[in-house]
Amino acid sequence: MSELATLARPYAAAVFKRAKETHSTTMWSKSLAFMSAVLKNEDISVVVDNPKVNKERLSALMLDICQGHVNDENENFLNLLVHNNRLSLVPSIARLFEAYKAEDEGYVEVEVLTAYALSKEAKQTLAATLEKNLGKKIHMNVTVDKSLIGGVLVRAGDRVIDGSIRGRLQQLAKRL
Amino acid sequence: MQLNPSEISDLIKKKIENFDLSAEAHTEGTVVSVTDGIVRVHGLSEAMQGEMLEFPGNTFGMALNLERDSVGVVVLGSYQHITEGDVVKCTGKILEVPVGEALLGRVVDALGNPIDGKGAINTTETAPIEKIAPGVIARQSVDQPVQIGLKSIDAMIPIGRGQRELIIGDRQTGKTAIAIDAIINQKNTGIKCIYVAIGQKRSSVANVVRKLEEHGAMAHTIVVVASASESAAMQFIAPYTGCSMGEFFRDRGEDALIIYDDLTKQAWAYRQVSLLLRRPPGREAYPGDVFYLHSRLLERASRINAAEVEKLTDGRVKGKTGSLTALPIIETQGGDVSAFVPTNVISITDGQIFLESNLFNSGIRPAVNAGLSVSRVGGAAQTKIIKKLGGGTRLDLAQYRELAAFAQFASDLDESTRKQIERGQRVTELMKQNQYSPMSVAQMAVSLFAANEGFLDSVEVNKVLDFEAALQLYMKSEHAELMNNINATGDFSNEISSGLRAAIETFVKTHSW
Repeated sequence: MSELATLARPYAAAVFKRAKETHSTTMWSKSLAFMSAVLKNEDISVVVDNPKVNKERLSALMLDICQGHVNDENENFLNLLVHNNRLSLVPSIARLFEAYKAEDEGYVEVEVLTAYALSKEAKQTLAATLEKNLGKKIHMNVTVDKSLIGGVLVRAGDRVIDGSIRGRLQQLAKRL
Repeated sequence: MQLNPSEISDLIKKKIENFDLSAEAHTEGTVVSVTDGIVRVHGLSEAMQGEMLEFPGNTFGMALNLERDSVGVVVLGSYQHITEGDVVKCTGKILEVPVGEALLGRVVDALGNPIDGKGAINTTETAPIEKIAPGVIARQSVDQPVQIGLKSIDAMIPIGRGQRELIIGDRQTGKTAIAIDAIINQKNTGIKCIYVAIGQKRSSVANVVRKLEEHGAMAHTIVVVASASESAAMQFIAPYTGCSMGEFFRDRGEDALIIYDDLTKQAWAYRQVSLLLRRPPGREAYPGDVFYLHSRLLERASRINAAEVEKLTDGRVKGKTGSLTALPIIETQGGDVSAFVPTNVISITDGQIFLESNLFNSGIRPAVNAGLSVSRVGGAAQTKIIKKLGGGTRLDLAQYRELAAFAQFASDLDESTRKQIERGQRVTELMKQNQYSPMSVAQMAVSLFAANEGFLDSVEVNKVLDFEAALQLYMKSEHAELMNNINATGDFSNEISSGLRAAIETFVKTHSW
């Protein structure tokens, strides 16, 4: 995973720079998300990994699938990746691109796991507290996970704030 | 200790009561690969160099390589249960080990866990294993001796408190034997000892511990073991663990002696870890920082002044200096001291005790090569009487070495040369000493005095040791007061000199050896 990030970084940086120039970061973000979703599909990944499929056929296939979701620049980018045999990097590139975008626009992606669905007010208070705590604007993504038993678990990049009952039970188990 | 069920549930209840229920914040990452005890972790963007990282299953690791997208971690202990995708948490702490008085008499592993089956160790303090050595202002020069109890070392290569003296030699030359004798001789001197066994067989370590127990030396000793079967990471950190335990005593104004047995194996372990971490290999495939590996360790052995001790103890201990004396051991291959690690450690330390296998095999034990062995700072710390009497010994041996080649033409040599050879042969014989029988300052003084004043010249070479043994017995029974006097003061006055002369002259007349 770490090696993939190293390989993907120059591509992501280049894409982000170009997107900034053409003021199309949102559009790029969408198309990259679409491309990585395509590549995560098992049938596609079999084709991509198959050495018998030559580059021309592969780009034709990719462009065909992505038709309607990509513009000319996206197509050029796809062709470049196929040419360099780096098509499998797309998910990593997409992730790094989002990171660049978040840094540029000054927010952090925060993943919140809760045991029970949160009310709107609770969400707002949580968001406000987290923004204060992390010192940045946040984009919150809330999911419900029953296995937490209770409480919340917040994940912002590498940082984890574990306020769940499950986490506390694990801590207690270790202490005893 | 017997516990009934209600007590256990009380204990658990208390623990739960005291349990801190705050939300836990940490950074985490995921395991990408596990190879031979080295784990690559993605994430952990805030990890520190040397930070303790927590793996599932109560396993810990140490962050050694901080790279752009990953962290290289060595696992301390077994790594078989760690798999790709496992979550790794930062603890925010540099690796720490327990320190304190409670460790004395115990055998622990490189993380300070007891391995002698004597139950938990009640320590209250911990210390990081990597610390910066005391600065220039905090130090004081070495001026008190550490008595090793071996004539050949205390007379010719004296060691002072806070000195670093290397013991170097091939395998089977008695390196460990010197170290063990040094520990045994620290009984009742107040010097605490730490013996760090790195990459040794468990059976040898068990032997050492048994010998120390037999001689009543375990009470003032901590044994830190990273045996050959433990992971390279444990062998790599064991000396630092021992050093932190020794620094505890130093920083409280006490004296401690630490033995690293041996640093060659630690360098091997570090080389293994480094190569697996893909650090570029250099000379003999060691990484570039193998010099720093040993220099930062040995630099922590030092003598610190009273002001520093007062500062470190918040004024609880006043007017006492602290010291940590280090005796690192290096094993050479075929007597080659110009290999990479031996040259490094020779240049770091304040002198070396050079042991030779041909001396050992010809029965000269300890097999100290008096010509190549030096002590750069110990002279200032030597007891006065030994300094006065030992100087002659060194000279006698040096002259003997030059002439030894002519020894077989004894009949054709002039009188003075023949005398020097004969004296040299006797002094060489006198320097022999049995294992586990350290001598006091007074005992050494008697032997050295006898050699210096020519009392040995009339004794046959193969009778020298018998002569010495009988003389020591005689001195002990007939002149106990004089001996106690020497042991107490360590001075060499005319009174003591004439007392010794008179006593030995009477003894020689008895011809009882």
